[in-house]
Amino acid sequence: MKCERIEQLLSPYLEDELNPEEKGAVASHLKTCKKCSLLFSLIKETQESLADIPELEVSKNLLDRLYSIPREKKRFKLRLPNFDFLVRPSLQPALTVATIMLIMISFYFYGPNKSSIDKSISRQIHLGYSKIERLYAKAESFSASLGEHKDNILVSLKNIKLLGGNED
Amino acid sequence: MLVNTYSKRIFNIAYQFAGSYQEAEDLTQDIFLKLNNSLSKYDFKRNFSAWLFTLARNYLIDQYRRTKWEKQTRDDFNDHYLPSEAFENPEEGVVKEENKRTVWQGINNLTSEIRMAIILRDIQGKQYEEIAEIMSLPLGTVKSRINRGRLQLAKILKEKKERRNEM
Repeated sequence: MKCERIEQLLSPYLEDELNPEEKGAVASHLKTCKKCSLLFSLIKETQESLADIPELEVSKNLLDRLYSIPREKKRFKLRLPNFDFLVRPSLQPALTVATIMLIMISFYFYGPNKSSIDKSISRQIHLGYSKIERLYAKAESFSASLGEHKDNILVSLKNIKLLGGNED
Repeated sequence: MLVNTYSKRIFNIAYQFAGSYQEAEDLTQDIFLKLNNSLSKYDFKRNFSAWLFTLARNYLIDQYRRTKWEKQTRDDFNDHYLPSEAFENPEEGVVKEENKRTVWQGINNLTSEIRMAIILRDIQGKQYEEIAEIMSLPLGTVKSRINRGRLQLAKILKEKKERRNEM
């Protein structure tokens, strides 16, 4: 085997993970190749050095910071107002109407026929206005005609026996 | 409580990975914040330790890639690690301490993925299967990364020894 191939097998050889054939090949190569043998001993030293790195204790300052994490989260929690009243049955008709209104308003603002809706609304308003005007005019003419016939009406009323009027 | 059980392990992985004590404390806090926000996503079928270490690993590697830690130096080994107890052979003790310092500094030359694999295997002593789960990689890839990392560190150690012998 070439040194490059042996290099790849040194770690598994160290951890006894090679099959007997590969293990034998590496062992015999290490006996004859100084370079690979040195590298193998250096890998062993590296592994021992790494394994010998101790665990550090966590400082009190860091522990305090870690313990305060849930509290910090609570502190920044949004406090939303209580909207429970919205689910009361008595409010449901009002909410339904409001929803329908909102849907209609959204149709008006975001629908494709906004200008035609505007026109029809304006026409309806004018029609309504003219109807009121006509009604007002009729009422005026009615009161004027009432004035003309006022005397006749009064005489007629006086002549009604039921109301205690005279015959003449 | 999670902090009591895992803070030491997470802090040590963060320190071994980042090489800076201050940075490791900040990273540990960030990881626990992330854990606090992600607990609802934890799948109870999964091993909790592996899930937490995956979260820590992802965060550490992401931070490393984002910042490259804006510095290429690590704390000196003896800034926070005390020298080992006295050896029977003082000369051997000196060599071992020197090796540890060299390997500790050498970790900085490893890519983030290889660095994490080496830390989990050779410092934390985890099984290959667990490392594969934490790193979400096939077993063969994990083994090859660990082999590459050890070779790199061994070569750094070799150079250091050669320079020392020349002096």
